[in-house]
Amino acid sequence: MAYENDNLLTVTSSPHIRSKRTTQRIMLDVIIALVPALAFSVYRFGVRALMLTVISVFTCVLCEELFCRIVRRQSTVYDLSAVVTGFLVAFNVPVTLPMWMLVLGDVFAIVVAKMLFGGIGQNFINPALSARVFMFLSFPSYMQPTNGVFSEYIGKLVNADVVASATPLTQASQGTAVSLQDMFIGNINGVLGEVSALCLLVGGIYLIARRVISWHIPVSFLATAAIISLIVPSDNFGRVDFMLVNLLGGGLILGALFMATDYSTSPVTPVGKIIFGVGCGAITMLIRLFSSNTEGVSFAILIMNLLVYYIDRFTMPKPFGTGRKDRAGKAEKRA
Amino acid sequence: MALTFKKGIHLNEHKNTSGCHTVRIAAPEFLYIPMRQHIGAPVTCIVKEKDTVTRGQTIGTADKALGADVHSPVSGTVERIEYLADASGTRIQTVVIKNDGMMTPCPDLAGYEEIYGKSISEITAQELSHIVRKAGITGMGGASFPTHVKISSAAGRVSDIIINCAECEPYITADHRLMTEAPEKIVKGLEIIASALSLSGGTIAVEDNKRDAVKLLSEAAGQTPGIKVAVLRTKYPQGDERQLIRAVTGRRLPAGKLPADVGCVIFNAATCAAICDAVTLGTPLTERIVTVDGDCVENPGNFIVPIGTPIRVLAEHCGIKKEKTVKKIISGGPMMGTAQYNADYPVVKGTSALLFMSCEDDRPDSLPSLCIRCGRCVNACPMNLMPLYLALYSKAEDYDNVIRYGVTSCIECGCCTYVCPGNVPIVQYIRIAKPRASAILKARSSQEGK
Repeated sequence: MAYENDNLLTVTSSPHIRSKRTTQRIMLDVIIALVPALAFSVYRFGVRALMLTVISVFTCVLCEELFCRIVRRQSTVYDLSAVVTGFLVAFNVPVTLPMWMLVLGDVFAIVVAKMLFGGIGQNFINPALSARVFMFLSFPSYMQPTNGVFSEYIGKLVNADVVASATPLTQASQGTAVSLQDMFIGNINGVLGEVSALCLLVGGIYLIARRVISWHIPVSFLATAAIISLIVPSDNFGRVDFMLVNLLGGGLILGALFMATDYSTSPVTPVGKIIFGVGCGAITMLIRLFSSNTEGVSFAILIMNLLVYYIDRFTMPKPFGTGRKDRAGKAEKRA
Repeated sequence: MALTFKKGIHLNEHKNTSGCHTVRIAAPEFLYIPMRQHIGAPVTCIVKEKDTVTRGQTIGTADKALGADVHSPVSGTVERIEYLADASGTRIQTVVIKNDGMMTPCPDLAGYEEIYGKSISEITAQELSHIVRKAGITGMGGASFPTHVKISSAAGRVSDIIINCAECEPYITADHRLMTEAPEKIVKGLEIIASALSLSGGTIAVEDNKRDAVKLLSEAAGQTPGIKVAVLRTKYPQGDERQLIRAVTGRRLPAGKLPADVGCVIFNAATCAAICDAVTLGTPLTERIVTVDGDCVENPGNFIVPIGTPIRVLAEHCGIKKEKTVKKIISGGPMMGTAQYNADYPVVKGTSALLFMSCEDDRPDSLPSLCIRCGRCVNACPMNLMPLYLALYSKAEDYDNVIRYGVTSCIECGCCTYVCPGNVPIVQYIRIAKPRASAILKARSSQEGK
């Protein structure tokens, strides 16, 4: 009989069954969710967009594999998280960026931001975003998307001089309704992944439907940014238009759906996630309103990343039966 | 509306054997009766080698409060008394009985009415506790807590009796079969417990995946006022006492407290039926229904098995598929059951199921365990803990933080580990940390005492 050789029995701690949802499967879902935005980016910017993405993914995977080999750790490439990072780094650069700069960004993302801190789940800042900031500070002129729609709008608001660098957007601003539609569909310039709000939303809804991410961070992030932009008066736009420009531009949707929701660098409790999202939204708007910097989203998420441990600790749920209600109930009983 | 609790997980039920009528298994030639089949100290063995025993005769008596007598399930002779390792690795004194095949019943066994000369409805908590202890009844859901302790500690303190018929673990259908084949025993058992605790009745709580049992139990309880059947939503771990109390009464029982502290007492379905038998007929607990299932089993089913029957006998009875290799033998359900290291260990009072699993579809053993901080464990934990931090701090041996994150509240239901995509054996980390944490807590409280 097949169990006769009892030496073959495995003895482990319970539970003895596990769900089908592995890290690899989750990362695959994220990749699937990124495909619409990639497809649109190729349609909008041409084949170079695809090339940048492929190179970026390849570099990230290679870096992780080499790092694991050098430090003699079991390879973690199989979990596909490096592929997701590769996608997101590419999504954060303009199509004109020289390849070697992108590769340098990938190395920074994987080696410095992720692996040096222990790899998946251990990094405290988002690798793709830190790579974006790294490239933005190292190669500022190359990282500015030519004719970036959002910088134009914001530039107009904050500092009239910036508009001097003038682009077709001056024309676009004459008919905001049309350009808002364009911004939603993605007929604008920008970095690879941020242009089409529609495609990003499709991917985001897929992730929420598949329960890869919860609604808490994206909704609280977007809602906070929306509310602040509604309250703040704008000279050039109506309140609603100003809000929509803020929501659709500057990579806010990409950030809220795909960057702020990164597991390693976001809180684990629902309340914590909402605090995190609100913080991201508020910092984004602060940067946008008081600085000509279009990096609001990146810095906001990176700053909030640093607070995750404290948010988790602060929002630690009360163990079953020890909550405020339970104690109140007991007090009642005594009285 | 089915009653339920917060969080928890939905599992693939695998209740393949819910339609399998129970079949009595002939007692094997040798039975192995461990002297500890419950939580607490081992009982004192009162037979010697070569003694003749009858069916139902007491062979071990509980002299500590936390214990329950042990009986011989067959008539025959004591072949030898030896120390056998149980699933936890502890060596337990075990009486090996050679079955003579006669099934001569023990002459001393008698029901309550015969012994006390009163009608069953006049039973007191003390009398019931005594009978239950002498009949060797322990919780049959898996935890094996001596039932008489529950009864005496509940006397005068509880307002609700709940019969736990949730059976939320996958595969197991032993209680389901009991409910459909002998619903009147469960109702009768509940009546007995209720009269002992001077209550008018109680609640029989069943998950809504057992609609037939709900119907039969309601019919059986039809005549008795005070007994109601509550339907629970099918979700794991609905059968945990805290989640059950929450679902049925809305009360929330914190860690470190007993159900009696919130006015509840809970009995498993099989325990309740065993109480009925012990009181009406005087029958001690010497056999139980065991579900045999798992992907390696040729003919899965439910069996009435004498306690002490080696697992191997059941495997041979049901047949193991030729093309499969048994990787794990699990005593109990797949979520909280214990993996056995060989097939020689016997069925004991708490064995609700035996699963022979090939684990073919499992994640490969080579997969590393890496927490990705996805928070799925936080969303699954019915005790509202943050299991990822418990695992993290347990690994780091930072027991202060393990305590801060509420390790003592963990019920080890396994939800966190089940949902973990990163393959982290969270429950195992928690089990490692728990004794250390409670030692620290104990030291702290004794310091405060000074």
